[in-house]
Amino acid sequence: MSKEVSEEGKTHHGKDYVDPPPAPLLDMGELKSWSFYRALIAEFIATLLFLYVTVATVIGHKKQTGPCDGVGLLGIAWAFGGMIFVLVYCTAGISGGHINPAVTFGLFLARKVSLVRALGYMIAQCLGAICGVGFVKAFMKTPYNTLGGGANTVADGYSKGTALGAEIIGTFVLVYTVFSATDPKRSARDSHIPVLAPLPIGFAVFMVHLATIPITGTGINPARSFGAAVIYNNEKAWDDQWIFWVGPFLGALAAAAYHQYILRASAIKALGSFRSNATN
Amino acid sequence: MAKDVEAVPGEGFQTRDYQDPPPAPFIDGAELKKWSFYRAVIAEFVATLLFLYITVLTVIGYKIQSDTDAGGVDCGGVGILGIAWAFGGMIFILVYCTAGISGGHINPAVTFGLFLARKVSLPRALLYIIAQCLGAICGVGFVKAFQSSYYTRYGGGANSLADGYSTGTGLAAEIIGTFVLVYTVFSATDPKRSARDSHVPVLAPLPIGFAVFMVHLATIPITGTGINPARSFGAAVIYNKSKPWDDHWIFWVGPFIGAAIAAFYHQFVLRASGSKSLGSFRSAANV
Repeated sequence: MSKEVSEEGKTHHGKDYVDPPPAPLLDMGELKSWSFYRALIAEFIATLLFLYVTVATVIGHKKQTGPCDGVGLLGIAWAFGGMIFVLVYCTAGISGGHINPAVTFGLFLARKVSLVRALGYMIAQCLGAICGVGFVKAFMKTPYNTLGGGANTVADGYSKGTALGAEIIGTFVLVYTVFSATDPKRSARDSHIPVLAPLPIGFAVFMVHLATIPITGTGINPARSFGAAVIYNNEKAWDDQWIFWVGPFLGALAAAAYHQYILRASAIKALGSFRSNATN
Repeated sequence: MAKDVEAVPGEGFQTRDYQDPPPAPFIDGAELKKWSFYRAVIAEFVATLLFLYITVLTVIGYKIQSDTDAGGVDCGGVGILGIAWAFGGMIFILVYCTAGISGGHINPAVTFGLFLARKVSLPRALLYIIAQCLGAICGVGFVKAFQSSYYTRYGGGANSLADGYSTGTGLAAEIIGTFVLVYTVFSATDPKRSARDSHVPVLAPLPIGFAVFMVHLATIPITGTGINPARSFGAAVIYNKSKPWDDHWIFWVGPFIGAAIAAFYHQFVLRASGSKSLGSFRSAANV
């Protein structure tokens, strides 16, 4: 593979990658482009399918009559992680495959999406989540209502602080994986083939679910928690809902700061220090 | 990797690094004379045979080992999760093996969706579906031949509506489940997607297998998960009881509707080929 090193405007000729320019805060031009609305539709459909498959799996598991008639908690974790893998794979080229307001928020902080796009994505994701859980309720109404509606709540024996901490760290794992998977420097190291990006993202979701299902049922996706809370409409789900927005957004913020300022050291580079190694 | 960008006459977007293949002819008599056509049909037959053999054998084995009235134990066998893995994992393996030969459909709904998107011709679509159904019958036939009494006693791996679910619910679950699968197939085989992945379609079968796995996790309690008319048909033929046959229409109508919706969504919303042909929304050349 021959790499054409462009001489234009580069002060570090050793780099074989180019960081994309920061997204403008407000980009009204993209409102006139069909690709923007196509991305919104893709996020809506992806989040709808995500919630439908995962919440249907949760209700199907809880509906079991014998001790092992359902897919098990492992199966539920697989449903969440596997579905994220499939949907990120399908929508990565359309909308970036966020399917999660926390991921959108993290990428917005890293200036990879504009404010208009970030807000549009979040609204589409929440609406898709509501519709997805609505499908599950329509298909299995009685077990849905009696078996917790797939809603996220803090489990007995855990404090709100513990749940918040679990959501923060869980979302940090996810968003940090997203940043690593989409890092242009990383793409260069992998010879510019972004084939495997969705797989570690799906596995990150799977891993966090294994760890956090006993604590909160695992939110780490505000749209997922919001959709289930809206359709289930239970007092406890709403009481705890703030945890599933504050936690993921704080986790995304921490991941964005960690990746942008420590791993990529973009702020330090801007100050011009630590540049003894030109290929750093 | 050097990319040869051909200047195709009449091509509207010179900046694209991919080309959509031309629509498949509705009836292509020429392909009937080629060995590769019959090789593809044989590949679909063998792949579907293996798929049904492994998956239905997994289902029957699980039910034998978890039947506490007949010497099994609670929580015996591979579990429902293992069954879902069998379906998804087998699709991954078989799509990987036959993708270059027949396109790796192994599912009449996938064939139907690709036919609607004009990626396969009508004779090819019909023969694929026939080969898949015959392969499914043979695959389940092997399972019955190996353990006839167990097979009959434990439901034959046939799809039917579970107690407590209405026909409409079963149909809708099949529609959405097949939408997920066929939508993933379209995304995995999208030439624009291949270009973004630097034309390396290494992982295309993996998300397809995972999509099948995911839908099985969600839908096994409702219908045992069809989303593959050949799978449902093969089991119904060999098991040959009234209940599977009564519900059997759900496992053809649902998947075909789901495939049609997925084809429409991918072709007209995501790829916007309808809008492109009308010449609208072309403010950005790289859309």
